[in-house]
Amino acid sequence: MDPDIVAKAFVEHYYNTFDASRANLVTLYQETSMMTFEGQKHQGPASIVAKLTGLPFQQCKHAISTVDCQPSGPAGGMIVFVSGMLQLAGEEHHLRFSQLFHLIPTPQGSFFVQNDIFRLNYG
Amino acid sequence: MDLEGDEMARTMPADSMEQHLDEVAKAFVDHYYNMFDSSRPNLPALYDSSSAMSFEGQKIEGAHNISLKLANLPFHECKHYVSTIDCQSSGVPGGIIVFVSGSLQLPGEEHHLRFSQMFHLVPTPEGSFYVHNDIFRLNYG
Repeated sequence: MDPDIVAKAFVEHYYNTFDASRANLVTLYQETSMMTFEGQKHQGPASIVAKLTGLPFQQCKHAISTVDCQPSGPAGGMIVFVSGMLQLAGEEHHLRFSQLFHLIPTPQGSFFVQNDIFRLNYG
Repeated sequence: MDLEGDEMARTMPADSMEQHLDEVAKAFVDHYYNMFDSSRPNLPALYDSSSAMSFEGQKIEGAHNISLKLANLPFHECKHYVSTIDCQSSGVPGGIIVFVSGSLQLPGEEHHLRFSQMFHLVPTPEGSFYVHNDIFRLNYG
């Protein structure tokens, strides 16, 4: 399957899940997964999802501007680099962000997120 | 840089490994942008034939093509300023993912351009790293 199509499908699934029900992101991470959120590091699904569900906003909407992807090596991994905007309920201005995912294939034919790095882009 | 990426990944305790990763990432980032800003023709030495670059959405493969792209960017001088560096082990043996945000100043331009860039560094047999993946995006306000 075309890697660009896989990357785009993953990105839509990730942000739709994030915006609808953040706790459901837990299935996308495994024990080796690492997330750095604005410089703060977390490892494993429980810690990562605790961070995300604990963020200081209830509702949000991600709008994606760009998606770049590249194979990460011979094991079938894929690096996905996203830029976009995040709107929080009640906030007039969108926050701009960049996020990097490193997806690793699972034996079942899906992907999990091994690496996740999120940064807001301040103007 | 004189580092044995793969061995490091196998033998160091986790906390030291993490600190070591941060040091490796910072050293690489300093080296990369210093080289970009002061001797861009030497930058292709950090890539090899399996490297991939995406520059503002344009995909370029292999050190030779990357070299051409870097040489043909529409500015001769520039200065990178790094704001943030995040790094993680990539899951590829000894590999490191480095995520940078910063700003780029071009001569004669009043406003800096803000950018984000990711590098996936993979160990070489000689104990150094090369850039296997490179993705660059300007951040428009």
